[in-house]
Amino acid sequence: MKRIYLIAGIMVAIAILLFVNSGKDMTTYGSFADANSSTKKIKIVGKLAKNKPMVYDPAKDPNHFSFFIKDNNGEEQKVVLLKAKPQDFEMSEQIVVTGRMKEGVFVATDLLMKCPSKYKDEEIAIKTKQNG
Amino acid sequence: MEKIQYIGETLLPGQIGQMGVLLAFVGALLSMVAYWFATQRRESTDYESWRNIGRYAFLTHGLGVFAVIGSLLYAMINQLYEYQYVQAHVSEELPMKFIFSALWEGQEGSFLLWMFWHVLLGFVLLFKGKSWETSTLTVIAAIQAVLATMILGIYIGFGDEPSKFGSNPMLLLRQTIDAPIFAQADYLKLIKGNGLNPALQNYWMTIHPPTLFLGFASTAVPFAFAIAGLWTKRHTEWLKPALPWALFCGSILGIGILMGSAWAYEALNFGGFWAWDPVENTSLVPWLLIVAGVHTNLISKATGHSVRSSYIFYLLGFLLVVYSTFLTRSGVLGETSVHAFTEMGLESQLILFISVFTLAGLGLMIWRWRGIPHPKSEEHTTSKEFWMFIGTLILLFSAVLITGSTSLPVYNKIMQVFNPAFEGKVITEPVAHFNKYQLWIAVFIGYFSGFAQFLRFRENNWSKNALRFAIHLGGGLGIAGLLTYLSSLLIELHTWQYTLLTFSAYFTIVSNLDYLITHLRGKLKIAGSAFSHIGFGLMIIGIMASGVNRKIISSNAFLMDGLIAGGDEEMSKKNITLFRNVPTMMQDYLVTYKKDTLDHFTRTYTVNYQRKNKKGKLVEDFNLYPTILYDKSFTKIATSNPDTRHYVLKDVFTHISALPEVEQNFELKKQREEELKYKALNLEQGRTQLLHDTLDVENQDTVFRRTFQISLESISRNPVHHEYKPEPGDLAFSTKLKVRRSDDDSVYYANPVILLRGQLIYTYPDQIDDLSAKFKIGQDAIEKVFALDNQLKYENINLRQGDLGKWQDLKIKFTGFNKAPEHPDYSRKEGDLAVGAKLDITAPNGKTYHAEPIFLIRDQQPLNVKVEVSELGLHVRFPLLDPGKETIQLMLAKSSTPSSIPVEVATDSLPSNYIVLEAMEFPGINVFWFGTLLMMFGLGFSIWNRMSTRRSGESLV
Repeated sequence: MKRIYLIAGIMVAIAILLFVNSGKDMTTYGSFADANSSTKKIKIVGKLAKNKPMVYDPAKDPNHFSFFIKDNNGEEQKVVLLKAKPQDFEMSEQIVVTGRMKEGVFVATDLLMKCPSKYKDEEIAIKTKQNG
Repeated sequence: MEKIQYIGETLLPGQIGQMGVLLAFVGALLSMVAYWFATQRRESTDYESWRNIGRYAFLTHGLGVFAVIGSLLYAMINQLYEYQYVQAHVSEELPMKFIFSALWEGQEGSFLLWMFWHVLLGFVLLFKGKSWETSTLTVIAAIQAVLATMILGIYIGFGDEPSKFGSNPMLLLRQTIDAPIFAQADYLKLIKGNGLNPALQNYWMTIHPPTLFLGFASTAVPFAFAIAGLWTKRHTEWLKPALPWALFCGSILGIGILMGSAWAYEALNFGGFWAWDPVENTSLVPWLLIVAGVHTNLISKATGHSVRSSYIFYLLGFLLVVYSTFLTRSGVLGETSVHAFTEMGLESQLILFISVFTLAGLGLMIWRWRGIPHPKSEEHTTSKEFWMFIGTLILLFSAVLITGSTSLPVYNKIMQVFNPAFEGKVITEPVAHFNKYQLWIAVFIGYFSGFAQFLRFRENNWSKNALRFAIHLGGGLGIAGLLTYLSSLLIELHTWQYTLLTFSAYFTIVSNLDYLITHLRGKLKIAGSAFSHIGFGLMIIGIMASGVNRKIISSNAFLMDGLIAGGDEEMSKKNITLFRNVPTMMQDYLVTYKKDTLDHFTRTYTVNYQRKNKKGKLVEDFNLYPTILYDKSFTKIATSNPDTRHYVLKDVFTHISALPEVEQNFELKKQREEELKYKALNLEQGRTQLLHDTLDVENQDTVFRRTFQISLESISRNPVHHEYKPEPGDLAFSTKLKVRRSDDDSVYYANPVILLRGQLIYTYPDQIDDLSAKFKIGQDAIEKVFALDNQLKYENINLRQGDLGKWQDLKIKFTGFNKAPEHPDYSRKEGDLAVGAKLDITAPNGKTYHAEPIFLIRDQQPLNVKVEVSELGLHVRFPLLDPGKETIQLMLAKSSTPSSIPVEVATDSLPSNYIVLEAMEFPGINVFWFGTLLMMFGLGFSIWNRMSTRRSGESLV
């Protein structure tokens, strides 16, 4: 079984190497301050600034949705998402954007949001007159 | 508080269900204990009594599980909303065909589904397990006992906060929620169900979960055999009965995963079939381990090598299913997964679940390690077992890498326990990350599964077969190279890594085909592995074609991710805006959003695709029908479902990624409509009216002035409007308005419609999007066009049956009486004598209209019901019937076209007749589906061989 062990050993070594190497694929959630000092793509967690304008006008550009988010340091920043406006965006509790700073705007290519679960709410639907 | 006597509750199903839960739990526990004793005392005289107790206890357990499912289903079918689970997952609107989907939508239901399969698999072991019955069922019963605690829903412990064990699906709503409504004894009359999430209302939700859970459940059987083998020290005997189970598991679990992919691709808007989502990953990992186990199992059976590995793979297969359950149901994945799972307070129970079985499995493994037989001699590098074993190591490697990356949130959680300030890490680009590593796994599997087929078990004399081996290998490599070259002409391979992967996939396809033809020579029974490996190769080719060469049709960018600086930003722009009836060029396709129709909550869009070849000949012309599903209040889009045009060689996929805000929310639409500032105009035919409009200029104090020129072109009594569906008896007309604006050179037309149906007036405004202007007809116009009766000048004519009369430019033929006349304005009363006169009225243009005015006598009073031929502006009454002469008298009048029509104009109306579309082309996706299905078929096919060799006692490996 020695040869097998040798090969298994080599594979374990490669695995460790890959795991160490894959650290490059991992990041911690950054802030807009980090984004300003880097040209690399970065992930930022924040909350939607609801008092700031949200603009999505597909008649002009369907791949341009701009809004403001406040990161965990409290910094507010304009974000442009190069996608359609996601459903239930206003209801989001938390937003994760992936992108980089460009000319003072955070240009995001991806967005994930956490919404309060819609279908598991503890509210009981009460029948209205119309629904019989 | 005084106890309320609630009205209308059906408590019996709940009581049966609760009993079932207890029976399931106690039965499993008892069965486990009894079977344990039976296994431990298999040589002693009381073996049979222990075994019988185990059997009956397990059967009772099964009965309990069936009782819970049955009573829950009963409650769901009958919409007994007093039960929390029913109220959460069923509603009046839910079609009966989705009742099963609703059953396993929730956590409790999916645990029940999982247990249901364990019960059925357990029954097979109980009746067919022979000497393995007691040991394997001890394990299955133990698993079931733990799973039963998940639906137990009891409180254990003392003090103010007893810990809750499980979540019981049979609880009453009023037991789970404290709401003021329960102060009313008749609360049941007031509540309704939440229903099934609309996104899940499709047939995939009916077939995917049961298949996947059967796959998950069937990992428990090889696990049970592994434990049984270790426990009873029958280290070589267990390998044979475990193999068909492992093959079954690989096949079903694989199909279950594929159904998830197909669901994502067909019905969701992922735009693909695999996204390396944690939920997908954690179901793939057990499959990889089971498949690895199948390979070492084959090695062990043939050579006696790798018994330990077989144990480890089968143990891990099930443990990783439990780990997957923990990841997806504990809420630990948080925002890294698109699959929505909520925390239910089962985290500690799930951790207990993993720990117990990991400790039992691995503990037993370590304890027995030295006793597990392994040959002293080493595998030869020229033997099949050597390379097969390396192959399984690669599969393990893949499983480790995927699990490692997917477990990042768990790692973060653990680190935060020790260091609360620890910042959690995330993968920046998950898809790229997984692809980068798994690509190499696939390359190696391709090569190994290709050439290992030509090696033999226990081969140590290399020279004997070297020539034969070299010929097949060389031929395979050559043909694979040729095919790779040909493929590169059809699809972009982009990088050398992809070229290498394509080559390895072709190599395994060619080699296994070769093996199938030259070595097996029609011995179909043992062809399963060749099928699976060819399937694997085809799957990779399919991924290269449809995944790597996926083309976004709805984007203008022809950019490759990462090749051009900033390219990924251009790449993410995948949407296009299509205005209704405006053909738009999208890559090779001319695409037109034709129309949309609303039926219940579903809005179906018709999108037409046309493609011409270089000579200008139309070669493709088809419609796609993506849909939007509104929620019950029409204020939100619940889900957007794609539509796909399937060709043999490619798919064209389309989904709606956004709609104008007013089309997403009908409340908002109504509100916006009310907010529009309409200005009234009185338009005369042939005279142009001016409308001055001011526009605020953004960020400045100035205003912008512009002028509209509006004129009335014509009035049509035969109106057409995309929202208006004509009904008999309608009085409707439209005005054709010619519109120009001072800052725009074009001439536009608007055709608003107004309708009088019964007593109600409906207006259908028309919008000119380019001018952001909306036009509607004023309500006073109804009177003007359909003149009031007392303003009409009626003329009389008399007709006999069969007569052809003339009035003005119309020919009127009286064809006969109708003894049972009908008209919207006429409702029959007891004692009425009513008769209709059937008239055919022919206009000068040759068009004939049918009219049926009614004459009636009610309470000795002669009355008549007027009919109106809307298109002619003709009014017809039937006031007199002379039975003696058999003649009827008709009163006829024409309303004149009014000289002016009131029209209202709003100049602040935003366009809303567009959709935002995402469209993609998936070349060769059928190769992917065919390949993956062939792979699972091969696994299933091998069971046939294993089962028949089991009976005849010889192996054909």
